[in-house]
Amino acid sequence: MSTAVRVEVDADGVERLNLELRRLAAEGAAEIVVKNPRSRHNLAVGQTAPVRILVDGSAGYYCGGLNAGAHIEVARNVGWGAGEAMAAGSLVVSGGAALGTGASMRGGALVVRGNCGPRAGVCMKGGTLIVEGSVGYAAGFMTHAGDLIVLGDAGEALGDSLWEGRIYVAGAIRSLGNDAVVVEPDDEDSARVHALLAEHAIDGRFAFKKVVAEQRLWYFTSRNAEAWLRI
Amino acid sequence: MCGIAGIILREPGPVGDHLARMCEAMRHRGVDSTGFALYGEPVEHLVVRLRFRDATGWEEQLETLIVGLRESGGDLVADPSLDRDPRAPDRFARLELTFPGPVRELADVLAGRGGVEIQSVGHSLEIVKDLGDARTVAERHGINKFRGTHGLGHVRLATESITAVSYGHPFWAEPFPDVAIVHNGQLTNYYKSRRLLEQDGYRFHTGNDSELIAVYLADRMQRGQTFYDALKGSVYELDGCFAYLLSTADAIGSAKDMFAIKGLVVATVEEGVAMATEEQAIRAVFPDELETVHPDPKSVFIWETGGRVLQEIV
Repeated sequence: MSTAVRVEVDADGVERLNLELRRLAAEGAAEIVVKNPRSRHNLAVGQTAPVRILVDGSAGYYCGGLNAGAHIEVARNVGWGAGEAMAAGSLVVSGGAALGTGASMRGGALVVRGNCGPRAGVCMKGGTLIVEGSVGYAAGFMTHAGDLIVLGDAGEALGDSLWEGRIYVAGAIRSLGNDAVVVEPDDEDSARVHALLAEHAIDGRFAFKKVVAEQRLWYFTSRNAEAWLRI
Repeated sequence: MCGIAGIILREPGPVGDHLARMCEAMRHRGVDSTGFALYGEPVEHLVVRLRFRDATGWEEQLETLIVGLRESGGDLVADPSLDRDPRAPDRFARLELTFPGPVRELADVLAGRGGVEIQSVGHSLEIVKDLGDARTVAERHGINKFRGTHGLGHVRLATESITAVSYGHPFWAEPFPDVAIVHNGQLTNYYKSRRLLEQDGYRFHTGNDSELIAVYLADRMQRGQTFYDALKGSVYELDGCFAYLLSTADAIGSAKDMFAIKGLVVATVEEGVAMATEEQAIRAVFPDELETVHPDPKSVFIWETGGRVLQEIV
């Protein structure tokens, strides 16, 4: 089935809507439009098929969460925890995102065209989170793995308690979090980040600052007790 | 959990209906109790909302209270409006009255004999709160009919303190007329802050930290701080995670803690400004796509009534 299918979000039907999306995808729908989303929570959660889902407006919390292969696009804004724990596929948000965007994501790509609130990429364990605007307080908080790429500015406490993830910021960094450090990106970094951007039709060359863990929190030593107490 | 809501209109309108619908849309955030702080047309005298804890003997308590009011130089300016729901274990009353002394003394006269809780005192503020979800409370108390300029709403999932009407939101900032708060969060320096305020003579009727925020802010403004500075100061003096809305006779202010744990969405619409824990609550009243703002950590906003232009301070 190659034609678009329209699905309306009714007053209490988000769970049924998500099951309907899965059913339509299993029947071979190539593209599904979710009309009238009304900023409702949990839209397009738990999708497994590589179907294209267009959310025709703003969504609430956890939009596209647990995604395992769908390509989801949101026409406007999303609330908390967009793409939470997604493992594969993509989520593209045309507007802005509230806090905890891409929380615990393990794979796939999440692109926010606007700004993100606090704790973007918190506990990321893989995948790519690209923010074309700016990120708020404590972006990359406790990020374990994956790439957080910010074309705008970063707020306070960037990369706090970062583990093995990598953060790239093209704009200004207001302050670094505990155990985060700015290092010079090499040519390989630049090539890889620009390739990731190109995958999502973001052109241009950016001079990034790369933020990684200084690794003072990786192993406890009494000399670093003060750093541990700040966690 | 808990959910908070606020609305401020450019022209007087159905604030009760708006807030009831916003609270209903956040039902999943708590059904232990629901409350509203509504601002109607201001009057010269005072409007008092009371709750009698016990459905037996409340009429005598009301009589005694009115005698006490008259002995203190005050009087009723209209017959009391009474809630007589026979199924309920308690009774509610709305009094319009004059009182020659400070509101603190009025509170003693009305509640000094026990059995009575003052829900609010003000020239335009009326707080209504009760057990149950938004629909239950709105229906029992006729919230949807209330017209006014602005107001707050709250749905509560009791976490830090007991489920009781007196512990529900909004809280009136005794003894400051027309000041109310709804709050989503927890304070971690509650007891210390409470003792400091008690040393200054304030008293608290519950162990709920939200009551403290209202009194704390009203006290700062009483001491000459601007509304803005009081809100901003709270971000640094109150520890914990919170998003709250404080309402006065002519404004609503908001503040968020420095870690931005709790959600708050603000939308400017043609009719005014609406704010809530969740965007879908605002869209229960204003269904079209909205231009929204998610206040940053440590940020403070104030929206004022009384003019076509609503002021916003970031």
